[in-house]
Amino acid sequence: MSILIDQKTKVLVLGITGKSGSLQTKIMKEYGTDIVAGVTPGKGGSKVEGVPVYDLVSEALENHQIDVAISFVPPRFSRDSCLEIIENNIKFLIITAEGIPEHDIISILQYANLKGTTVLGPGSAGIITPGKCKIGAHPPQMFLPGHIGIVSKSGALSYEIGKILSEKGIGQSTVVAIGGGPIWGLKQSDLLPMFEADEETKIILLLGEIGGTMEEEAAKIIKEHIKKPVIALIVGKSAPKGKSLGHAGAIIEGNLGTVESKVETLKEAGAYIAEDSLDIVRLIKHIEGEKHVDIY
Amino acid sequence: MRLFEFQGKRIFKEYGIPIQSGKLIYPGDSLSNLSPPLVLKAQVLSGGRGKAGGIKMWDGHQDLAKIVSELFHLKINNEQVKAILALESVDILREIYLSLTFNRSRSTPVLIAGISGGVDIEKTAKEAKEQIFFTEFNFLLGISDFQIRGLAKKININDSIEFRRIILSMYRIFREYDASLVEINPLAITPQGLIAIDAKIELDDQASFRHQELCRELKEEIKSIVSDNLTIEKEEDTITFVPLHGDIGVVSDGAGTGLLTLDLLARYGGKVANFCELGGITNPEVVFKALKKVHQDKNVKSVLVVLIGGFNRMDEMAEGIVKFCAQPNNQIPIFVRMCGTKENEGKKIMQEAKIPIYDDLHEVVQKAVQKARER
Repeated sequence: MSILIDQKTKVLVLGITGKSGSLQTKIMKEYGTDIVAGVTPGKGGSKVEGVPVYDLVSEALENHQIDVAISFVPPRFSRDSCLEIIENNIKFLIITAEGIPEHDIISILQYANLKGTTVLGPGSAGIITPGKCKIGAHPPQMFLPGHIGIVSKSGALSYEIGKILSEKGIGQSTVVAIGGGPIWGLKQSDLLPMFEADEETKIILLLGEIGGTMEEEAAKIIKEHIKKPVIALIVGKSAPKGKSLGHAGAIIEGNLGTVESKVETLKEAGAYIAEDSLDIVRLIKHIEGEKHVDIY
Repeated sequence: MRLFEFQGKRIFKEYGIPIQSGKLIYPGDSLSNLSPPLVLKAQVLSGGRGKAGGIKMWDGHQDLAKIVSELFHLKINNEQVKAILALESVDILREIYLSLTFNRSRSTPVLIAGISGGVDIEKTAKEAKEQIFFTEFNFLLGISDFQIRGLAKKININDSIEFRRIILSMYRIFREYDASLVEINPLAITPQGLIAIDAKIELDDQASFRHQELCRELKEEIKSIVSDNLTIEKEEDTITFVPLHGDIGVVSDGAGTGLLTLDLLARYGGKVANFCELGGITNPEVVFKALKKVHQDKNVKSVLVVLIGGFNRMDEMAEGIVKFCAQPNNQIPIFVRMCGTKENEGKKIMQEAKIPIYDDLHEVVQKAVQKARER
């Protein structure tokens, strides 16, 4: 078991002929991900890493079963290609692009909601279920199969923590990067119940950052619905106030979205709070001993 | 990009939203053709203008030149007044609040209306929530008449063709300009009908590729008015650069890891001189440029580069770093943590150039802090 994807998942890559799309396709295929088709308008009939390329999503669907689409399309063309996926009833869409105009993101998410397509992103680095499937940019060497479920805003931070855990021999069930915001498809609060229901996942790790109110929403879910131990790391406590440090969402305005306020609400909801990346390892071992959770 | 009131009103006029007639005054302009009564409004981009004394009345009894001169000497939130909008005064029976924006956490556009408008709207939003109404809608459908009817009833205003037309015009501006905010505060009910007394429009910079000509014109106009010391835009590339006051320069290729690095630096006693996040998908030139930027700060004693590539390729990152380090007169020690996509290729390039690399984040942070202390 795992969440959202497994070894049977059949994947379509949007923007497969681009520099990023073709490199990531190669790495995903080497990992064992079942990439069945790619789409780039005007490049139909060609192949990338042995994967057939189509001009239209509908043409790909005539020849393949598709469970998930991942888009490497640049921001300015994202609206059109994402709407094409949703229109063709593909039920799960991962959007990697950052910098998509807000009117386009909202259009995509509202149409997806209407048609029943789940969207991860925009700005998502994707998902990895170590040893089984990876759809996105997670570097394979940083992840091991195991029982820690990770939900992170930042892709890079999810790699960072995966790397540290794997070096200590602590594996992961599924690792999801939802994107830096400030507008999201799947949120922390959507993913927590999925990890709660997943048999492989024994401990849930929430990786958040300053800005916004998403961690506060997650705390509410943890308090009401999550029985598994949750460890939270919120980064950015030494970030200068009122300045955007990359993610559009990671900006502190007034008292809203500070590390202190997030930590306080999460603690109150029963989460363990990690001080930094290494502290996560200590907390996992602590929970293992205290609650007899088998993490290996 | 936030627009000046006069720019917003120009757009309002184009879309048929009623505004007062008026004239824009720059320092040194002749005031002879102005006749009372007038409202004189300082044109600034920051809020709280009314409370800061940026709006004056002229009924013909006072010295107009003196009022204008005082306004031009005013600074509002550190922003020097460089243009004044002179408007005919109107009799206001009642003021309401209207805006179109996004509720980002709910992924929906929202039409906001307040029973009363004016300078205290933020206070009302906090203390009298029942007076403000949020109508969420779907972009696939736009705003429907029944929603406007419902809203009119809630804020106790006549559901006139005039009122509908204003809301639908706001919606067209919102969509056609890729705005993140279209606000009328207040919309005045006057004996002559509804009039937009103020205009606040913010455009989504990420959509400027769709409106290149327009954005260039608006930006030029803003630049000609805004004082030089006020930064109004980011650089053209995706680099985020934040200058601070310490002695360690930081470059990272991911916001989350960048923030974690700042926390670790603070933990190990380091002081950050500046922070540079590469953002998006990068290439050797972006890294080279980032390093150059970080080194420009004279206080920098050591540079910490934290890379963890998913989309970013370490071979390209290495190429950029090696190119930078090969420059003459480059004396500042650099500490690089490199891992992720194409890391073996990247490490090889670094080793050939004899630039040391680290694998552990905590270790490399401590090294950079230690070096900054020694120098």
